Amino acid sequence: MKVLVLNNAAPFIRGGAEELADCLVQRLNATSGVEAELLRIPFRWEPAERIVDEIVLNRNLRLHNVDRTIALKFPAYLIPHSDKTLWLLHQFRQAYDLYESGLSHLSSNPRGAEIVRLVRTADEQLFAACRRIFTNSPVTQGRLKKFNGFDSTVLYPPLNDPFRFKGGEYGSYIFAGGRVGHGKRQKLLVEAMRYVRSGIRLVVAGPPDDQAFGGALETFVATRDMGRQVELRLGYRARDEIAALANGALACAYLPIDEDSVGYVTMEAFAAAKAVVTARDAGGLLEIVHDEETGLVLDPEPQAIAAAFDRLAGDRGRAMAMGRNAKELLDSKGITWEKTIARLLD
Amino acid sequence: MKIVLASSFVPFINGGGRFIVEWLEQKLVERGHRVERFYIPFVDRPEDLFDQILAYRLIDLADSCDRLIAFRPPSYVLCHPNKILWFIHHIRAFYDLWDSPYRLVPDDPGGRAFRNRLIDLDTRAIRQARRVFTNSKVVASRLARFNGIVATPLYPPIMSPERFRNDGYGDEIVAISRVESHKRQWLLVEAMRYVRTEVKLRICGASSNPFHVETIQRAIAEHGLIDRVILEDRWICEEEKVERLATALAVAYVPDDEDSYGYPSLEAAHARKAVLTASDSGGVLELVSDGHNGFVVPPDPRALAQAMDQLYRDRALATRMGAANERRLAELRIDWPNVVDALTS
Repeated sequence: MKVLVLNNAAPFIRGGAEELADCLVQRLNATSGVEAELLRIPFRWEPAERIVDEIVLNRNLRLHNVDRTIALKFPAYLIPHSDKTLWLLHQFRQAYDLYESGLSHLSSNPRGAEIVRLVRTADEQLFAACRRIFTNSPVTQGRLKKFNGFDSTVLYPPLNDPFRFKGGEYGSYIFAGGRVGHGKRQKLLVEAMRYVRSGIRLVVAGPPDDQAFGGALETFVATRDMGRQVELRLGYRARDEIAALANGALACAYLPIDEDSVGYVTMEAFAAAKAVVTARDAGGLLEIVHDEETGLVLDPEPQAIAAAFDRLAGDRGRAMAMGRNAKELLDSKGITWEKTIARLLD
Repeated sequence: MKIVLASSFVPFINGGGRFIVEWLEQKLVERGHRVERFYIPFVDRPEDLFDQILAYRLIDLADSCDRLIAFRPPSYVLCHPNKILWFIHHIRAFYDLWDSPYRLVPDDPGGRAFRNRLIDLDTRAIRQARRVFTNSKVVASRLARFNGIVATPLYPPIMSPERFRNDGYGDEIVAISRVESHKRQWLLVEAMRYVRTEVKLRICGASSNPFHVETIQRAIAEHGLIDRVILEDRWICEEEKVERLATALAVAYVPDDEDSYGYPSLEAAHARKAVLTASDSGGVLELVSDGHNGFVVPPDPRALAQAMDQLYRDRALATRMGAANERRLAELRIDWPNVVDALTS
């Protein structure tokens, strides 16, 4: 079976969705009787009117010599194909929840309402034509149901390289991995470190979304002379380096703003048997980060976070126990590539 | 410089159309450029030809890179203020293959209007490129003839040519390429009926058409050539290719009016082997001149047989022509530094 994975692409930018798509193709190719390839379509959503072009262009493309498509994102999932399975990573949120909450670039646009309607209509035509719809999290699943009225099955994306996250010693630092940007609130973590009383350190490692944000973080640390408490490793880091940092941490911290899914950062921490410190408004990861069981769920306030860090440093046994719970919980979910591929090809 | 390479593709079909893009990508990266590659699907059929071209036209890459290099049709319609084309062929059914069985629409007023509309659209889109290179003189002359556009041939080299070796000149004429009817391996099999020496023929390559392979197999059996014609109808990996060519007597490459000289001819040159080709093989003739670095004979089994016999009888000739073939690469500047300079200047 020839399986084409459909994804969109922002040129020269790579993130979790790109990693997932590459890994999916690799795992499909390792499946007997399956040949897989990735199709990436450049996507640009600004200015708002551009969305119309994007819908037209993707719907106008044609595929030949493909038995099955597995589509991940708007608008690449609109490319017509008669045997399409959707594994929805997220919808075009600017036309859905972000629009409703006024955070979309369509919210203030005079043609915004029209464009939103267009996106939703194109989406619903596509959803109706898919052979199966999977979503990557209950959050995505809920939105799809709420806005479009379509049912779906949650299929969590497994870790791409679980073998790296074997765990290790429980050191004297909190590790915060993943992309670095406003939406991930590393700034809040760094601010929290001003209030920490124990000797616990914070290590932040990952690529900044933009240079300005990374620079501001570095300046914050430098001007307050926090170099001993906070270590910033900004930029792309080798997977082995990220894994070593997770494996050696006392616990991990991840505080995205209302994220759609559990997220790789959380799963990596859990795989390495580390408790995760997060916030009440962090979204998808709250499905597995349970307060006092597999981590600590806090108000997104520096003092509260600092207190949590101090607690973990002061009661290492408790930190380790929650880390072990986290690993057990993740293992019990059985999120493996073998099962995922079987579902997608079903 | 941030460079986007864009071309069209048919999923799961690998071949020269991808190699040229991916090899260039590697060479640009080696020169310190940041490169992103996009293959956009394209189905060569009239019903939705213009719909698909519209889709390409709508793709917005203008702000995402400093330079766009486009290859296979219809990627030349992509918009970019700094668009460079390495044009490898037209949508040929509407161009040079119009008067052939490959034509996709009838030659009536409607069909001709369709064709003219495409040619007009192509001409305008190609003119928006800052520079137009082609992979051969053949394609450059088509651009001149159909679109009135002047283009510069920029011959595509192969990747890591240094891996090819020469272990002498054995008994086999070797033909490595996809096994398809227009590559005319069947013509080489026919030729083997008329050879008078002990020369052998080895055909290697995968085919998209099992029926065509069967036809060739049957011809080999019917003409009693099983001992002298070897058919390896499968994908030949690069290491195997190096081995086959190292001991070959010469290389045969007789496609029907090919656009470019074809990688088999280049591989032969890097292994210092002569190329046997046909007078109607198109771009191959830009590389091979008769009696110098190979033979150019009419596409006739007897003529091909005679050339095969001559190479078999006269190993000194095969050696001389092989060496001349390697020198020909330098004459034509078929090398990556030349290509990268041209496409980034």
